[in-house]
Amino acid sequence: MRLIDLGDEALAGVVSRPVRTALTMLGTFIGITTLVITLGVATTAGNQIAGRFDAVSATGVTVTVPTAPHPLVSWSGLSDLLRLNGVHAAASVSEMDPAANPSVRANELHDPNTVTDRSLPVVAATAGLPEVVNGSLALGRFFDNGHVTRHDRVAVLGTTAAKLLGITRVDDQPAVFVNDQAFTVIGVLASSGLDLDHALDASVILPYTAAADRLHIGAPSKVLIRTDLGAAPLIARQAPVALSPNDHAQLQVVAPPDPATLRGGVEHDVNGLFVVLGLVSLVVGAIGIANVTLVTVMERIGEIGLRRALGARRRHIAAQFLVESGTVGLIGGVIGTSAGIVAVVAISALNNWTPVLDLPLAAGAPFAGALVGLLAGLYPALRAATLEPVDALRAGT
Amino acid sequence: MTVIKLDAVSRVFPADPPVEALSDVHLSVARGEYVSIVGASGSGKSTLLNTLGLLDRPTSGSYQLDGVETAGLSDRERTSLRGSRIGFVFQSFHLLSYRSAVDNVAMAELYGSSDRKHRSERASQALEQVGLGHRKDFRPDKLSGGERQRVAIARALLGRPALLLCDEPTGNLDRANTSGVLDLFDELAARGVTLIVITHDEQVSRRAQRRVRIEDGRLCD
Repeated sequence: MRLIDLGDEALAGVVSRPVRTALTMLGTFIGITTLVITLGVATTAGNQIAGRFDAVSATGVTVTVPTAPHPLVSWSGLSDLLRLNGVHAAASVSEMDPAANPSVRANELHDPNTVTDRSLPVVAATAGLPEVVNGSLALGRFFDNGHVTRHDRVAVLGTTAAKLLGITRVDDQPAVFVNDQAFTVIGVLASSGLDLDHALDASVILPYTAAADRLHIGAPSKVLIRTDLGAAPLIARQAPVALSPNDHAQLQVVAPPDPATLRGGVEHDVNGLFVVLGLVSLVVGAIGIANVTLVTVMERIGEIGLRRALGARRRHIAAQFLVESGTVGLIGGVIGTSAGIVAVVAISALNNWTPVLDLPLAAGAPFAGALVGLLAGLYPALRAATLEPVDALRAGT
Repeated sequence: MTVIKLDAVSRVFPADPPVEALSDVHLSVARGEYVSIVGASGSGKSTLLNTLGLLDRPTSGSYQLDGVETAGLSDRERTSLRGSRIGFVFQSFHLLSYRSAVDNVAMAELYGSSDRKHRSERASQALEQVGLGHRKDFRPDKLSGGERQRVAIARALLGRPALLLCDEPTGNLDRANTSGVLDLFDELAARGVTLIVITHDEQVSRRAQRRVRIEDGRLCD
């Protein structure tokens, strides 16, 4: 018997009972559809979450400098860092010990009825800070390198700090007193952004030169880096060496999680349950195919006897029923995969996501259906092949 | 030239006591002969048919089909011998209801080695031989009983078998259709086809050139 004849016979068997074939296919169809939707949506959603993460947090790297007898990182070390490929912006800050927060007030009025002195964090920083923390100015401006080099006694306040100190405008050049040292307020940071350092919202930010002069704030305790997209892991490795070639091992780097790991994690969470559901419906589909094929074998006993009388060997009979059930599974798989892909695209469209299609999944799913069909057809095909032609001819009509 | 040579063939079915469906059967059929085997039900007809059709093995004795001794053949060899040398015609036709007449006829060549290209032409020719050239694209359920049996005969004739083995070919037919099929058998016999018709119907058996009676598993002329 030729392979093409086998295909013809099997196809004729599948096509001759279209309604039954369609119903048989249903189980495989549902199973494959569920699997494709599950895996497709998980990939798409995972990619979506990781994509958002990439754009904001995944570009922020924080290097924490431990306190040491001699400064590990100098303020001028930033220029070495900025030379690295992949560093978009960087700023050094030095935070005063939180326990020793200096008293800050807005005027020299000593009013016994109200508390005018505030204990606020005071931070010394380089000029590029807003760009690094994604911050914008609500009022006025941030200090620039000119202020830094001139040792100007200026200050920028976080929104909360400004509210606490009662400063609502900067065009009249208000002053704040930090440990009785006067600083002119030139700007107020907006509270949005600041994703790398939320504490800045309540801080008084001073140029590091003036802070060193007046308040003895020392070397940087933290370096904030904004990297180009995708460069964070690289910069996380290179930054300590650039900042402190001798003591780089002592610097602690906080880098965003690797997007790939993150995506995998999300997919894993979403997938588990639905993959089980899809597999269960596949098994149900397989049982359906097995059942119907078995019924078909019993119905077609006469045909089996006839084929044996015409010279078909047992393996020809087995092959025909296997190919028939495999074909049913394959067709169910193809339709199921298509429906699944359409559903994934529709879900993505509704959520304004970019559908992400796993090619091996799309190409492999129909064959999973065929495999299910083949496995399900195994027992009925063996039953058909072991029928004795005499009995089959007598029983059939 | 003998097509069939049965020598001391017996077939015993294991039971308590054992049932001897065929005992010491001798039969020889020459090429071109038209033989009818007639017997009541339970006489061993079916067992004889199954033995002749290589669907069953005799318990003892020798059976030569077209000069080939079949006793020692494997299941696979018997299957291919059956496919190539014997054309079957059954009482219940055994046509596939979802295939056209010509497809049903062409099935006879499915498990052989003939070429695929001209298969449907040959099947159409076989249908014309039995006078159904005009019905070749009909499905069996659109044909009368006699026409269905003729389709089955055309299928049996395809591949030029050494022997046409008919099991109660008119059992499901009315008188008019029966006589049509028997006329066709006469025509085939005249053309030199070797025919064995197994029946319980005296009318049918009388049309054959040679009649063999089977009673209790034994043949008598």
